[in-house]
Amino acid sequence: MFHPEPMSRLLIVASKQQLEPVITELYRMNIFHIDDYVEKEDEGWEGFRIGMPLAGADVASAALVKIRSIASAFGISKDTISATERSSINELKRRIEQDLPVIAEDVEKLLTSKTRLETTVKEYEQRIEALRPFIDVPAPLELLQGFDSISFIAGNSKEPVTLTVPCEIWEKSLKSGYFTILAMKNSDVSTAERELLDFQFQKVQIPQETGSATQAIYEYELKIEELNKEIAELSGQMETIRNRHDLFLMSSEEFLSGSVEQAEAPLRFATSDQAFSVTGWVPNSKVTKVFENLDKVCAGKVYVSELEVEDYNDMPPVEYHNPDFAHPTQLFMDLYSRPRYTELDPSLLMAIVFPIMFGLILGDVGYGLVLLVMAFGLRSLVKDSEAGMQLVSVLRNCSISSIFFGICFSEIFGFSLPWQPVWLSRHINIGGSGAAEHAIEEAATHGMMASAEHVSHIPQLLVLSIWIGILHITLGRIWGIRNAAVMDHGHHRSLKMFANLGWILVMWGILIAIWANFPIPLMPDLSGTPELIAGMNISTIAGIVILVLGLALIARENFLDLMEVPTIISNVLSYTRLIAVGLSSVAIAMVTNFIAIDMIISPQLANLSIVGIVLIIVGIVVFLFGHTLNTALGVLGGGLHPLRLHYVEFFTKFYRGGGTKYNPFGMVRKLTEQH
Amino acid sequence: MAAETMTVEVAQASAAGMKAIGAGLAVGLSGFGAGIGEMGIGAAAMGAVAENKDMFGIALLFTVLPETIVIFGLVVALLLMFQ
Repeated sequence: MFHPEPMSRLLIVASKQQLEPVITELYRMNIFHIDDYVEKEDEGWEGFRIGMPLAGADVASAALVKIRSIASAFGISKDTISATERSSINELKRRIEQDLPVIAEDVEKLLTSKTRLETTVKEYEQRIEALRPFIDVPAPLELLQGFDSISFIAGNSKEPVTLTVPCEIWEKSLKSGYFTILAMKNSDVSTAERELLDFQFQKVQIPQETGSATQAIYEYELKIEELNKEIAELSGQMETIRNRHDLFLMSSEEFLSGSVEQAEAPLRFATSDQAFSVTGWVPNSKVTKVFENLDKVCAGKVYVSELEVEDYNDMPPVEYHNPDFAHPTQLFMDLYSRPRYTELDPSLLMAIVFPIMFGLILGDVGYGLVLLVMAFGLRSLVKDSEAGMQLVSVLRNCSISSIFFGICFSEIFGFSLPWQPVWLSRHINIGGSGAAEHAIEEAATHGMMASAEHVSHIPQLLVLSIWIGILHITLGRIWGIRNAAVMDHGHHRSLKMFANLGWILVMWGILIAIWANFPIPLMPDLSGTPELIAGMNISTIAGIVILVLGLALIARENFLDLMEVPTIISNVLSYTRLIAVGLSSVAIAMVTNFIAIDMIISPQLANLSIVGIVLIIVGIVVFLFGHTLNTALGVLGGGLHPLRLHYVEFFTKFYRGGGTKYNPFGMVRKLTEQH
Repeated sequence: MAAETMTVEVAQASAAGMKAIGAGLAVGLSGFGAGIGEMGIGAAAMGAVAENKDMFGIALLFTVLPETIVIFGLVVALLLMFQ
């Protein structure tokens, strides 16, 4: 909780005879994060070099490449295959040796002929395109070429062509200009071409065909049809191979990629002539398992030891260690950057605060229910992708929070629920402050019962969101102090801790100075405190003293940081988006209801007619369209704004990120049996 | 002439109209400004993400920075309309 999984660093040393069993066992356990051995003067160990791959790596790699190329030609992947039972390794090995070369040859043959046919089809299509302009030409195509003394020029131009040299012209007007064929003496060709430049004449090659263009096109079309039939036949054959072998291909892909990874593992180890050694990270809770299992497979001929760690700051890989509830939010952490090993992992706090913020923005029972249904509906669509599942879970939590706040705010699709809002209300009126008597009556017909009192809640809600900001940012700064205390060293450490304290003091100093002079709803009112000097009361002076003290602490770390002080105000005010964006979503919902119901449907219901029924249907469409749009906007606004508040306003106060992902050596097998 | 026909109701209505115009200007102009700001950042962020997918979080962060201005505009508009 708030801290990644604790890790231990293990060193494994054994003679080279044990290399294979150790690798196989580590791969099977899937918990050992290998630290790659670096062969450098200052980091490496004397006499140790990077190891050589195990025997058989090249054969397995070659087979793997073959399988992957077949799989990509077929468009199959591990995710699209669901196996009822797992393939046995021995059976797979036998089939890879016997069947794979045959399958690969068949597929290659089919692919080559298919590609050849497809190229021919394309060529014929190009010829048809070239023939098309000549369809209406009154002479057979063979008469347009091959004379000793006469030349033909064909082409397109914007305007009709006229030449000074003697020539015969046939032209056809097209949408974009004119298609022209010119016949002239060979001696006039160069003059004609020069003159044609003025018409921006684009030459077209005269096709080497006989007979009319229509006839030639027809023949080519027939040929293309033939070829397409052959291609379809080939595709059918490939489909058959695919359906027969897809499970075999994918399970051998899994088996072989595991074998290759294991065979190449020594490239990450340090080896001498007789021995090898490897260091890596294992979660604390699983250290004994590694000790026991390795001891068992090597019959005691292996040395495993836990190493002392000097500097935890950036070395260990980071695996989240959160209650299940916070797992979906880890997606947002990885999107930003994985935390470092020693720093606070804010996933859990984010898992709580993010849905609350979402609910504050989209606090509407109707939209919440729509999103909840969507979250459950999407579940089956994304069940293969971890990120997708996380996102759907976040959506589910957010929609529940939305429903909760919708009940509190008494809102459903922009209408009031049959009870008064709990505490504060977001109900508003269209086109009025609600202060005037008639405005309230009008508003009542818009679905929302917004009284003058309700409308007056809006400034209070804004203040509430500012409170959320103040607390969120103060917490961020406190965590900043904690991170500096753990992660920094020496003089810099205390400077940084005090600077973070300084930022807190400046913020609260400003707040106290404001409270001392202006009474604000939902905030302490210090304006009543006795005056001291020059018209300033005690609270004002206390605020200013705290502010100056804070400024001094910030300046001590870095003088230029003082330039950033105004961001305190903009960061805190930025939290008002929680209410502002929410109110705009309420307004859109109300406007939709107003247009659909009050303007279109109600007048027709009062006086029913045929046209009226059509209009009522139009009204229903408007209603659905408006609310669909508002739901989409609500998900975007409700999701992105809290995310931004976390990333920009909260994380910048303490979060460093840049940790290495815990990536254990091994794989989760889906299709094959464990070795 | 105008001064003669100016009754209390007219004055109130025109004050309310001015408020509405002010609110509209606050949201509209701040949205315009944020749009100009995000234009360049968004294009550059897209480029960065295209080169390296891990940049997505940071790119999103930079892209949404200027949009605080719109929120300020929206808050000012809300205060104008509802206080």
